[in-house]
Amino acid sequence: MTSVEAAYGAEGANGDDDDDDVDAEDAQRALRAWEKKYQSERAWEDLEEDPVTGRLRVTSEAQTAKARERRAKMAALATSAGAAKGMIRFTYVVVDLSRAANEEDFRPNRLSVVGQCATSFIREYFNQNPLSQLGIIVARNGVAERLTELSGSPEAHAAALRNALDASGDFSLQNTLNVARTSLKSIPSYGSREVLYIVSSLSTCDPGNVWTEIAATKAAKVRVSVVAVAAELHVSRRLTEETGGTYGVSLNADHLDDLIMAHAPPPPLPEDATKSSLVQMGFPQKKHLSKDALVVGTGGEYVCPRCSGRIDELPSQCAVCRLTLVSSPHLARSYHHLFPVAPFKEYTRDEASAKEVLECKACLALIKQTDPASKCEQCSNVFCFACDCYIHEKLHNCPHCTCEREN
Amino acid sequence: MDFNLEGLRVFFPYPQIYPEQLAMMTEFKRSLDARGHGAIEMPTGTGKTITVLSLCVSYQIAHPECGKLIYCTRTVPEMEKVLAECRTLERFIAARAGEDVAAMLALGLSSRKNMCVNPRVVDEGSRESVDGKCRRLTASWVREKRLEREARGASENENVEDGGEGNCCEFFEDFESAGEKAVLPPGVYTLHDLRAFGRTKKWCPYFLARNMISFANVVVYNYQYMLDPKVASLVSSSLEKECIVVFDEAHNIDNVCIEALSVNLRQQTLENAGRSITSLNTRIDRAKQTDERRLRQEYERLVNGLAQQGVLARGGGEDVLMNPIIPDDILREAVPGNIRRAEHFVAVLKRFVEYLNMRLRSTQVEQETPTAFLQHCAANAGIDGKTLKFCYDRLTSLLKTLEVVDMDEFNALSLVANFAALVGTYSNGFALILEPYDERYPNIPDPVLQLACLDASLAIKPVFERFQSVFITSGTLSPIDLYPKLLGFNPVSVRSLAMTLTRDCLCPMVITRGADQQAVSTKFDMRDDPNVIQNYGRILIGLAQTVPDGIVAFFVSYSYMENIVSKWHETGILREIMQHKLVFIETTDVVETSLALDNYRRACNCGRGAIFLSVARGKVAEGIDFDRHYGRAVVMYGVPYQYTLSRILRARLEYLRETFQIKESDFLAFDAVRQAAQCVGRVIRSKKDYGLMVFADKRYNSQDKRGKLPGWITTHLREEVLNLSTDMAMQVARTFMRSMSQPFSHDENTQSLLDQAMVDRLAVEGGWREALPALSRKLAPEITMHLS
Repeated sequence: MTSVEAAYGAEGANGDDDDDDVDAEDAQRALRAWEKKYQSERAWEDLEEDPVTGRLRVTSEAQTAKARERRAKMAALATSAGAAKGMIRFTYVVVDLSRAANEEDFRPNRLSVVGQCATSFIREYFNQNPLSQLGIIVARNGVAERLTELSGSPEAHAAALRNALDASGDFSLQNTLNVARTSLKSIPSYGSREVLYIVSSLSTCDPGNVWTEIAATKAAKVRVSVVAVAAELHVSRRLTEETGGTYGVSLNADHLDDLIMAHAPPPPLPEDATKSSLVQMGFPQKKHLSKDALVVGTGGEYVCPRCSGRIDELPSQCAVCRLTLVSSPHLARSYHHLFPVAPFKEYTRDEASAKEVLECKACLALIKQTDPASKCEQCSNVFCFACDCYIHEKLHNCPHCTCEREN
Repeated sequence: MDFNLEGLRVFFPYPQIYPEQLAMMTEFKRSLDARGHGAIEMPTGTGKTITVLSLCVSYQIAHPECGKLIYCTRTVPEMEKVLAECRTLERFIAARAGEDVAAMLALGLSSRKNMCVNPRVVDEGSRESVDGKCRRLTASWVREKRLEREARGASENENVEDGGEGNCCEFFEDFESAGEKAVLPPGVYTLHDLRAFGRTKKWCPYFLARNMISFANVVVYNYQYMLDPKVASLVSSSLEKECIVVFDEAHNIDNVCIEALSVNLRQQTLENAGRSITSLNTRIDRAKQTDERRLRQEYERLVNGLAQQGVLARGGGEDVLMNPIIPDDILREAVPGNIRRAEHFVAVLKRFVEYLNMRLRSTQVEQETPTAFLQHCAANAGIDGKTLKFCYDRLTSLLKTLEVVDMDEFNALSLVANFAALVGTYSNGFALILEPYDERYPNIPDPVLQLACLDASLAIKPVFERFQSVFITSGTLSPIDLYPKLLGFNPVSVRSLAMTLTRDCLCPMVITRGADQQAVSTKFDMRDDPNVIQNYGRILIGLAQTVPDGIVAFFVSYSYMENIVSKWHETGILREIMQHKLVFIETTDVVETSLALDNYRRACNCGRGAIFLSVARGKVAEGIDFDRHYGRAVVMYGVPYQYTLSRILRARLEYLRETFQIKESDFLAFDAVRQAAQCVGRVIRSKKDYGLMVFADKRYNSQDKRGKLPGWITTHLREEVLNLSTDMAMQVARTFMRSMSQPFSHDENTQSLLDQAMVDRLAVEGGWREALPALSRKLAPEITMHLS
């Protein structure tokens, strides 16, 4: 895939977009039933050989389609700006490890795809919400098994999930919901309570009436979102509608990943959700342990400012005084969710500007006539597409706007 | 919105309209203009009802000379739905064009059970007992007697004996005493509204509604009220010629027509009839002693002929029996001499019942024409055709003379009389078939004498002849040119409308073979093949794995379903299915089935998922909707042919071939495919719904079957969903389920929804000027008089 990335800047033969779309649709319709099975995996068709350099690159229409998609996603993130967001989230990820997870409509099977997606979600979740906590529940053999308690360490969760990937039996919506709800009930009121289901099963096998559990979940102000692997299940669709979550069904493995990742940024809070309140937090200092110190437990490098207890990693809670411990970069990283960079406008070349040489104001590379470019509406600087993505997805600051502010 | 449709101002209560609705309106309008009939197929879920209502009511407004709209439905819930739509329309017209244009009288009519407000009567429960109780309270002679008693001033004591507070219905009495004044103000009345109105005014809603039919602009009632001569003569005889008659969901109308004129007699019926005759005899004897005068008067009347003397004239609740024969076919002549006297008539009846008993003792299957039957009857029992023809009227008259109100007791006898009248009247289009035992249990004697009507046009012909415009519409009328032939009418417009969809929300597919490439079919020589049964089971397992929530499977017959399910049980397929979903089965028992359905719905609601195994042509296939998550997929196992060895069917096929030149195989295929289409159509009830339709039989792959499916299904039967094996089908199903679960906005797509501006533009393009003024609406003077 390195050559694919390298091809972003390369020149590509460009046809008329609309015509190509129509052709592509026709081609898709003509696919035979058995061919459709491999449709999502026909990645080789998106490649073409560059006549000059001989390198493989992504065809321009596939590239523009991807660019369009990515831009829409960025814009969607930015539109929720200004809404109150739960910065401190307490999320349970429910992974369905029932019989249906063994099906092989994804390569090699649903189980491993779901496992991968869930692992990368856990990492991304802590990346974007350093102050939040997460726990894992697996549904297997009709019961809900709490794999990890709510805590802040991504690697511990990922490891636990990796070791638990083994599917059998039925899936129970009621049992998992009950475990998640009772656990989330005790968290402080400033945190937003969320449950994310990744469901392969098309049915739920419950010991009682699932609707009473759904009502209780709604009353406990738990937001439940569901990502279904196979198809829409009525009861889970209603569950998300009742609790204000989102519902998604994956078309293929990539889509599944997108759907799950969409839950990484914090969702806007419902108006009546939690009242803003002051949260006590500590900013521990890093102090090396002297060799002859007397230590109970592992003896981490950080020191709790209240009780001087030793902590391994941040963010976490102090094992002694239960104080929430973070570092200032964590707070800063959470901050951008509240004030995202406004989406850049697509830069269209008119007659006058068609001839002039365009330069990306971030990476200083030339932007070719055919390549997409975008313009920050505040500072009126033009950026290439790669930088646009970098600014919106990683940096969360427009460099030129920041400079102007400084000056 | 309101718009100009070829010069007619049409009021449509919604801001947007589907193109197919517009097309349907155009068809309707053209037939109305031409004063002709029509047959229009339009898929369910496209707003058929409101289209018909809105066009017809708009037409009535623009053409005051146009008669009522008579909308025939199959069930009471459908009726209520139509009236609810009618109310929306009325409100919309009132908002657009003013109250005086909108004013109309629309009402529903149903049986006493659904309309009665008298708590003492309606608590009776079953339909027959409510009818009986009502008659007992409202028959004219009962009321006369009571009046007499009251006049004598001895009412109090006797009332106590008669059980409770007097044997009269205060609602009916109040209604009667209101007389001319008892009218409904203009408006739309559902059954519920009628009952509420009856309660506040203390008027009987049933008789009020029956009275108001002649003044109403829109009448909604059951098929029977139009087609069954027994009921129609009671209710629909006063309707004027200019009426617009619409039969909704009319795909089975030929069977309804046939059933209305067919009679089955069993041993038990004849025994009951024998008992009734004895009871009649005692009653006659009693009447002779107490009231000879009445019998003599009746005799005089009969000498002069039935019809002129108004023996059948309508009164309060004494509509005891009505002639099963179409009015035009009753000869206007005097009743034959041998049955004029009550005792003679009863003797004739007795002889006839004995004769029938003798016929039933036969051990061989017999089939004959009515003419042969009459001849045999005349030779053996000495009863000629003319006598039989009058049996029914004579019995009605006698029962009335004897002041009988307990009709339950005489049900069997009236059935025999009905049989006699039909066999005496019609020599063509009927067949008499005697089967001494059930085919399935040849050792148990269960003789049944069937008088089978073979010609659907007999019952419906008077409707077509009498009314100016008659429409039959349904979601499945394909092949649409067969219906005019079967029903014997000449339509002005015949049209099958397609459904415009914003997305491909229905996915029909034809599975012809299992994963092992062995063909699957319910053909007679293949259906018991273990391979086929195994493959059929695999289809269901596959679907249970791929499709969420509810799945419905239809089989060709109960016996086949029982057979295949027990085989599945033996081979463990059923257990495998049960891992994914619960399984419910339709049985011949209605209560059991509705319980199963209820549990099926609960299983779908709580996410457990369920499969309902049902039978084509059963109750479930005809009347139950499996919309939304109640039916995400439907499987049709096999082609639901009728039982081709049935003698009635054979007779009918022969008749169709000789009279209408319809090939036997054509009719059978048509009938089977329309049932299949009806079954799979259960899952899509609106455009927002989605569902998978699986035809599991290799025969569906051939053009002669596939081509008979309605257009809205065949347009989706593309090459890639034909001739599939089970595993390929599952692949299609999986993709379909995934793509249908994606978020989708129904308002975005403008191609399939026309708004006001677009419809106006269409009108201008068609050469019609801008909006027309609405004329005022014609209301019966009787109603407007009382409006103030």
